[in-house]
Amino acid sequence: MWFVGLVPLLPVLAALVVMVGSRTSQMPRARVAVWPLATACLLAIGLLVAVAWRGPITVRFYEAGAPANPALPLGFYVDRLGAVMLVLVTGIGTLIYLYSVRYMQQESGYARFLATLLLAIAVLLCMVSSANLMMLFVFWQLLTWLLYLLAHRHDHRPTLLAAFRTFTVLRLADTAFLAGLVLAYALYGTLEFEELFVRAAAQPVVFSPFPGVAIQGPTLVALLIFIGAMGKSAQFPMHLWLPGSLYAPTPVHALLHAGIINAGGFLLNRLAPLYGLSPVTLHVVFLVGMLTAMLGAAMMLTQNDIKKTLGFSTIGQMGYMIMECGLGAFALAVFHLIAHGLFKATVFLNCGAVIHQARQEPVVPRLDHPRDQAELARLTWITGFLSTLVLPLGILLAAHGVLAIPLFESQGTLVLLFFAWATSFQAILTLARLRAVASWKVSVAMLITLLLVVWTYLFAAERFTAFLYPDPGEVHRYFQAAALPGPLFDALLAGAILLTVLGWAYLYAQAHGRTVRLPLWVVRTRVRLYVLFMNRLYVDTLYDRCGSWLLRMARAIDTRSWGGLA
Amino acid sequence: MTVGELSPVWPVAATLGGTILGLAGWVRPRALLAWAVALSLANLIGFVVLAGRSAVPTGLLFLVLAPSVACLSLLGQPAHPDNRAPWLLTLLFLGLGEGILVGRDGPGAGGGTILLGTILSLLGVLIYWYRAPSAASPWRGVGACAVGVVAVLVEWLTTPPTATVARLIASAVLFPLIPLHGGFVASLAGLPGNLPAFLAFLLPALGLHGLLVVLPELSDGMARALEVLGIIGTLYGAVKALLQPRMRMLLAYAGLSFGSILWWYAAAVRTLPAAAVVYVGAVGLAISGLLVAWYAIRARYGDTDLRAIRGLARPMPRFAVLFVLLALAALGLPPFGVYAGFMGLLLAPSLPLSGALLAILLGWLAASWYVLDLTQHLIFGEPRSDLRYRDLRPGEFTALVACVLLLLALGLLPPRLWALGQPT
Repeated sequence: MWFVGLVPLLPVLAALVVMVGSRTSQMPRARVAVWPLATACLLAIGLLVAVAWRGPITVRFYEAGAPANPALPLGFYVDRLGAVMLVLVTGIGTLIYLYSVRYMQQESGYARFLATLLLAIAVLLCMVSSANLMMLFVFWQLLTWLLYLLAHRHDHRPTLLAAFRTFTVLRLADTAFLAGLVLAYALYGTLEFEELFVRAAAQPVVFSPFPGVAIQGPTLVALLIFIGAMGKSAQFPMHLWLPGSLYAPTPVHALLHAGIINAGGFLLNRLAPLYGLSPVTLHVVFLVGMLTAMLGAAMMLTQNDIKKTLGFSTIGQMGYMIMECGLGAFALAVFHLIAHGLFKATVFLNCGAVIHQARQEPVVPRLDHPRDQAELARLTWITGFLSTLVLPLGILLAAHGVLAIPLFESQGTLVLLFFAWATSFQAILTLARLRAVASWKVSVAMLITLLLVVWTYLFAAERFTAFLYPDPGEVHRYFQAAALPGPLFDALLAGAILLTVLGWAYLYAQAHGRTVRLPLWVVRTRVRLYVLFMNRLYVDTLYDRCGSWLLRMARAIDTRSWGGLA
Repeated sequence: MTVGELSPVWPVAATLGGTILGLAGWVRPRALLAWAVALSLANLIGFVVLAGRSAVPTGLLFLVLAPSVACLSLLGQPAHPDNRAPWLLTLLFLGLGEGILVGRDGPGAGGGTILLGTILSLLGVLIYWYRAPSAASPWRGVGACAVGVVAVLVEWLTTPPTATVARLIASAVLFPLIPLHGGFVASLAGLPGNLPAFLAFLLPALGLHGLLVVLPELSDGMARALEVLGIIGTLYGAVKALLQPRMRMLLAYAGLSFGSILWWYAAAVRTLPAAAVVYVGAVGLAISGLLVAWYAIRARYGDTDLRAIRGLARPMPRFAVLFVLLALAALGLPPFGVYAGFMGLLLAPSLPLSGALLAILLGWLAASWYVLDLTQHLIFGEPRSDLRYRDLRPGEFTALVACVLLLLALGLLPPRLWALGQPT
């Protein structure tokens, strides 16, 4: 499979085509550069087919076990996961590039922007097809720099602070990744994926960083690398850089939200066997993912800036994806990131057209909304309860039953079922609240849609899981490793269901014009929480204060304690 | 004839002769600069020809890099009469430095001791001569150099373990280690012309050369003390670099922080892999490159505060691209030599996994903060409308491109090419 290396090389070639030449010919050159990128996409599809038939492809430009340059052991390893990611990145990359060729035409630095975009695609491709952890880390760091360059306007002074924050947060995560990598090498003596997994499983190493502190080798390695993943995938509290990139051009947003941010999910999947050895890390991953999903969604609802809203929406989705990894559902996380990537790329690339259309045909919001119902009959409650809460759950359970998905064998599937249920009822309720048509019509239409979507989604997810991890035992092992203690899990699930039903009752009553009397402290807490989430939990202020505090401390060290040393 | 057989007298005599001949062109600065560049190039060619027959402790890398850095630091200079003395001093330091580097026994043996003493004395005199009246650091620099000279004398007159400690002190003055870093900082911050850019590479190279000789003789207590000083130096250098509004001071403290990482490593592991030479060479080269880039700014706007200039990306694109590449190398991003050297150190089988590693990684992380801060202030943002901008001259451009290429080569080539010789 000699053409493995061509997939990341072709975007580099395209970047050269764009950059080298006179200013007058830059538009034709930009158009020509689409072809290498599209060819890379075709090659990636070919690789996917080849890998599905023949198994993983490994190409190493170094001697395994003793690379001449240990800091840069170049090679490619394409398994099913790598091939899927190659297709995703080249596919979305080609579309975004094609869009950018005309969209950015009037901008200064046109060729430089396109070339940087192409280089970012090339770096992503190298990263997902890395033969070892070291090469993955090399391209991981290059991505940090390209993110800093792409996600901000550097001639715009106010955004420089956000750019600086992006880089420092991502470098902090990179340093944790580096620590994990060094530790992995010190404990197991290799950074080749397969060998690392085998040795980590075979050698139960206990590591003691400080006297009296002992921690399992795989747990510490996986935790440190997870911090690296948290940075790129904007997990709380390392999420700040994503909503801070307000002034990036639309194509960059598309690439950022559809491709680059998935790096964390990919990393966890690539190292799934290592994470499978450490239940503690998986629980931490689950917790961080859940926290990010909840906070991301809460902050999204309270933002008054559309780009920040979209930014927090992506953060919430990344939280879901990481949470799926924490549940041991690694393949589902990849499925999720593909679906989310395609969705977000569409949303962002459509932004320009929507804005253009809105400017052409301004639409004033309607003022003649029908008055809300004053009363809410018992029958309305019951039908509402059935149509928005019970039936979606029934559909989900039926779909699982028909598709023979072992629902109660793993906590992960159960939690995913819960989230699917909560999302479905929220979608139906939201549409019912819009009052575009009579609510029962909306409910029926939504239920039928839900039926189709759930079946298709579950079927596709099941097939995809079987494709990515052909050994069912491996999937089961991950689920088992991620399992929480029974009573804790039951309590969490019961609490979440209770919260969901209460939330539903509150929203449903409000949607039907009913005033819900709440204790004063609840109302006050709600207002406080609203302000808190609207200000993004003041995390950016906290970061700035931390930076200022560090500088103050440095000055104090400089002038007092160590002044004599110059 | 191998390099190992080459007497230290030859490179010293050749460059000293060249320096004296150069005095003939004193009244014609352009001719003098051309002569200095040609002499350093000839020097480089001489060592490249001898490549592959190396038996010197630090390998051939430093012997190849020293004239290269001298050459590129000279290339970045405008042909101005004020710069004549630094050019000739560069040649002098080059000859003396090469004399030490080709010696097998390090600074302590015969000729090496004399040369090391001469370098330290010359450095002290120059720091005193070019001192700024308001600055406090020159006096600490002079003091550190004086300590170094005394250490060289003690080492010459005594036997181990006293001589070992004395060698260590002399090495710590050159390859900065707290609290003897004053000489290094004052050299980079106070000396004129291209000298700081050249010394940013040469002094750590000479220090490492001495350290390699001393390393096998280190007692446990000394090693532990060096470990602690290395960790303190890494963090202290990073903290000081964060606070500097002036480029040269910032880079001097960055050099201290990066250098201290190697001190910690050497003391903790008690041996140095080939990556150590790559690391020291690349850090020196990156700092030299950034100083050469800073001269381009100084030549246009004077020795100003960093915050006085901004937004050079648009009006000076060639400068901006090269400066950013050098900054990337300095903050340790791949595929440059600093990254390769650092990873080579961390992937050594005998690396001790302790809490100290965390401090070292913090020092490493801090570079991302102060180097990016520097880059962002200088390159990005809106350019000032009251300044006239002119992109790099051919000499400056060539120097910076050469520096970036050398850093790339150090990052991409296998470190075993720079294998360390066995000190006797």
